[in-house]
Amino acid sequence: MDFDWDPEQRAFRATVRDFLATHLPPDWESQAHGPGSKSQSAFSKGFCGALARAGLLVPHWPRRWGGREADPWTSFILAEEMWEAGEPRGGQYMNVNWIGPTLMRFGSEAQQERYIPPMARGETIWCQGFSEPEAGSDLASLRTRAEKHGGTYRITGQKIWTSYAGDADTCFLLARTSAGKGGISVFLVPMGTPGIIVRQIPSIIGEGDIHEVFLDEVEVAADALLGAEGQAWEIARTSLSLERVGIPRFALARRMLHRAVETLKRAGRFGQGTFAQAATARAACEAARLYSYSIVDQRRHGKTTGPEASAARYATVMAERLVSEFVVEHVPEALSGGDAMLLAHHQRAIVAGIASGAAEIQLNLIATDLLKLPREPR
Amino acid sequence: MDFELTSDQEALVSAIDKLAQGFETKPTEFHGFALVSPELEHELTEGQYFDIAQIPELGPLAAAMAVERLARLPCTGEIALSMLLRPQLRKELPRPFGLIENGRPGRFVASARTVVVIDGETVSIAQPAASEVEPVDSLLAYPMGRMREAVKLTRLSDEEAAGARKWLRIALAAEASGLLQAAVASAVEHLTLRKQFGRPLGAFQALRHRMAECAVLAGGVRWLALKAAGTAEEADAALAALHAQESATRVAYEVHQMLGAMGMTLEHPLHLWTYRLKALVAELGGRGGQALAVARHCFGASV
Repeated sequence: MDFDWDPEQRAFRATVRDFLATHLPPDWESQAHGPGSKSQSAFSKGFCGALARAGLLVPHWPRRWGGREADPWTSFILAEEMWEAGEPRGGQYMNVNWIGPTLMRFGSEAQQERYIPPMARGETIWCQGFSEPEAGSDLASLRTRAEKHGGTYRITGQKIWTSYAGDADTCFLLARTSAGKGGISVFLVPMGTPGIIVRQIPSIIGEGDIHEVFLDEVEVAADALLGAEGQAWEIARTSLSLERVGIPRFALARRMLHRAVETLKRAGRFGQGTFAQAATARAACEAARLYSYSIVDQRRHGKTTGPEASAARYATVMAERLVSEFVVEHVPEALSGGDAMLLAHHQRAIVAGIASGAAEIQLNLIATDLLKLPREPR
Repeated sequence: MDFELTSDQEALVSAIDKLAQGFETKPTEFHGFALVSPELEHELTEGQYFDIAQIPELGPLAAAMAVERLARLPCTGEIALSMLLRPQLRKELPRPFGLIENGRPGRFVASARTVVVIDGETVSIAQPAASEVEPVDSLLAYPMGRMREAVKLTRLSDEEAAGARKWLRIALAAEASGLLQAAVASAVEHLTLRKQFGRPLGAFQALRHRMAECAVLAGGVRWLALKAAGTAEEADAALAALHAQESATRVAYEVHQMLGAMGMTLEHPLHLWTYRLKALVAELGGRGGQALAVARHCFGASV
C-alpha cells in the first residue's frame, strides 16, 4: 500500500495541467459555464479536439480507437484535473468515461465505426435518455416504448432531466421492447430524427443543463438497437458502474473550499468561528478522495468493483454538501455575483446526490450488499 | 498510488488476524466496563508485535493495520500508543504507555511505565512508580487511571511535542477505525436477528439508511487513518483524527439507537466499543483541537 504518486503519474498530471494552462481562455474562471450551456458545448468541441490531438482525450481507450491503453489511474488523474478546472469538456466527459467504453463492449462493428471515432476526435455530444416522469430512481418502471415494424423501431414516450439534450447529436436511450424489467433495451438515437422535441427546463443548476425530451413515433433503423433486445439492464449496470465514481467531485469541492477560505482570510474572517466547519468539510473531501481512489485501485488490479463504489459515491455526496454549505454560510456573496467559480461549484454540488442514481439508492445498496442487512419487503 | 497490500503487509495482517481470532468473543461471565486481556498482551509481546513499526518492510502503516484489527476485539490492551507513538519518540521508553490530558483521568495510566502528559500546549513524559498511579472507576471501556501525586515530568521540545501529537492523532484514528467497524458490525448483527412488527429490524429503511451512513463514515476513517500512517504528514494526521472523532460521535449514538435497551446492558458487548470511542472523542482537545490542527496544517492558518 502506497499513498504517493509514482513519477509517471506525477508527470502525466503535470502534462494535463500544462495543457489546461495553455488551452483555457484567460477569463475561464470568471465565467460561470453551465455544463450544458450553448457556449460550453461550443467551447467543448474545440477544447476536446485539442485534447484529442494532444493524446489527452481518451488515453485509457484501446489503440484501435485512438487511445494508448493507459491504466485507470491515468484516466482518473485526467478526470480530476478536468473537473477541478470546471470541466471544460462539458458533456463530452460522458463519452470518454462510459458511452465509448460501453459501445466498445456491447456495440456492433458498424455501431462502433459510426460512433466511436467522432468521440475520440472530441467533436460529438451525447445525452443519456434514462429518467422519465414516472421512472426516476425506479428506472425499471420506464414506459417509453419501442415497437418493431419490419426493419425499423418506432419509439414513443418521454424522457426528463436529460442533461446536454439541447446540443446532443445522439441519445443513449432506454426504451421498453416488452413488459417487465427484462423488457428494456438500449437504442442509439440520432437527435435529429423526426419526432424528437427537446425542451429546456429552467433550473437553479445553470443554463441548458436539464431537459425534457419528447419522442413521438420516432423511427430508427433496427441497427439502432445496442446489444440484444432486453439487454438494457446489463448494459446500464456496466455504464453506471463506470459512471458512479466517474466524476471526481471531491477535487473541485476541495479546491473551492480552499478558495472560500482564501476569500475569508483576505477579509480577515477566517478564525475560530469558521475552523470547525472548514476542517470537517476538508476531512470529508479527503475521505471521498481516498474512497474513490480505492475503487480506481480495484479497477487497476482488474477487480470487479462492488458496493464500495456506492460508499465512495455517498462519501462524495457528503463532501459536496459540506463544502457547499460552508460557502453558503461564510461566503454568501458567491451566490450573488461575487465569485463565478464558487457559484458554478454550488450549482454542480446541488446535483451531486441526485444525478446518476440518488444518494438514497446508494444507501440501499450499501445496506444490502455491503452490510448484508435483510432486504426490505417489496 | 497503490492500495494493494505488499506481501509483507499481507503476511502481517493475516498473522494478526489469526492471533485476534482467539479473542473474538466476550467472556459470558464478564459484566464490567473495560475488558482488558492480559493474554492478548502476552501474545503480542511474545510475537514481538509491538515493534512492527520499526521493521523497515512493515513500518507505521502496517502497525496502523494491526492497531485497527485489534481494536475490533471486545477486549482491549495498550496497543496503539506502543505500536504507533512509542517508536517515534527520540528516547527509548518502556511500555506499556498511558496518556493523561489536562490532569484528567487517562487511558492505561494505572499500569503504565511511561505516561505521556499533555497540559495545554506542553507535552511531557513521566515514568511513575507503581505506587504513584492508581486506577479510577469509569464508564469508559478503557482502564482509566491517574497519578496519585505530582511526579517528575520531562518536557518534550516543541518539535518533539509536535511529533508526539501527530502520532497520537494517527494512533487515535487507527484505533477508532477498528472500533467503528466493530460497533457497526455489532449493530448489524442485532438488526439482522431482532424482529419487530413481523420482520427483522434491518429490513426497515429508516434504520438501513442510518447504518449505511455509519458504514460510509467508518470506511472513510479507515482510509484517512491508513493514509496518515503511510505519509506521516501533519495535515493527514489532523484530518484523520478529526474525521475519526466526528464519526465516533455520530456512530456511537446511532448504534445504541439500533440496539435499544439491549445496548444499555453490560451483557451485550456494544459498550466495549462505543465507550472506547467516547474516550477517544475527548482526547487531544476533541473536535475543536483537531479543527485547529487542520486549520494550521491544511489551510495555513497562523494559530
